[in-house]
Amino acid sequence: MNCQKARVLMSAAVDCELSFKEEQGFLLHLSECKECKNEFEEAKKTKMIIKEKIVQFKAPQTLINSIMELTSFSTIEHEDTLLFE
Amino acid sequence: MERNLHIKKSIFLEPGRFQLMDKHDPTHHVQGRTKKESLSHEERKKQLEFQKEAVVHLNSLYNYALHLTMNPSDAEDLVQETYLKAYRFFNSFERGTNCKAWLFKILKNNYINRFRKNSKEPGKVDYDLIKDFYHSIKDIQNDTSEAESDYFHSLLHEEVYQALHSLPEEFREVIQLCDIDGFTYEEIANMVESPIGTVRSRLYRGRKLLREQLEGYAKKYGINTDNNHNNQ
Repeated sequence: MNCQKARVLMSAAVDCELSFKEEQGFLLHLSECKECKNEFEEAKKTKMIIKEKIVQFKAPQTLINSIMELTSFSTIEHEDTLLFE
Repeated sequence: MERNLHIKKSIFLEPGRFQLMDKHDPTHHVQGRTKKESLSHEERKKQLEFQKEAVVHLNSLYNYALHLTMNPSDAEDLVQETYLKAYRFFNSFERGTNCKAWLFKILKNNYINRFRKNSKEPGKVDYDLIKDFYHSIKDIQNDTSEAESDYFHSLLHEEVYQALHSLPEEFREVIQLCDIDGFTYEEIANMVESPIGTVRSRLYRGRKLLREQLEGYAKKYGINTDNNHNNQ
């Protein structure tokens, strides 16, 4: 495998999306090519930074309520009854 | 039990919150009450399955909508519309496939139809907008336990967010779907309607661009990106 082919496989290697055969070839190339190995490490690190640094917000309670309302039409009257018991 | 509490609250404390849904179906409350007895077993089954399969992805959808619209109010509307549509067409959801991916695709289509028609030229990034958006979100989230009080960490979140949004949309989209939402290449290929090979190369190039951006920020602020993810 040459560097060009290794770059084609680089992202899939980061995301564990390579076939067994592709992975074998890719790892073999990394063991022989320092440049591609560095690039692979950097790409993994970039993925990690995105995963860890992008804040995931909680949906607002009002939104949660309205979605629950959407999928609970049949229970509305039952809830009314319960509330006034 | 917790779910029931939400319903009570939603009906009795915040009736105005349902304007959007009422607009689509102004009679649904009346119908819901009078037809309650006649609601079929199938309909109840559908509701339960929908809650189990689709509603559990609410937070992910909301975050995806935030990334697309960069506006909390628009994001809420978009998620509401998405769930409304998803519920109506839930029978066409292929059981056993990834429901989250199905919902994301609906949301993206809604977004294109609703927001992008009138938007500015694609690919142009308004950094002030990103900054404003980020601060408005941070203010909203200040009372939650997830809010960061540490300035260094807050800044870094913002920088990564900004770097991500500075990428051309085709790259940002696949990075987001892969790294933030954890979809497989096959699912992403289906969502962006491109071959898997294209997904691979966009991820490769996108991450490379992103790394360059982050290195730029790091130099600007004297931060060492090598250790960023270990400093949490």
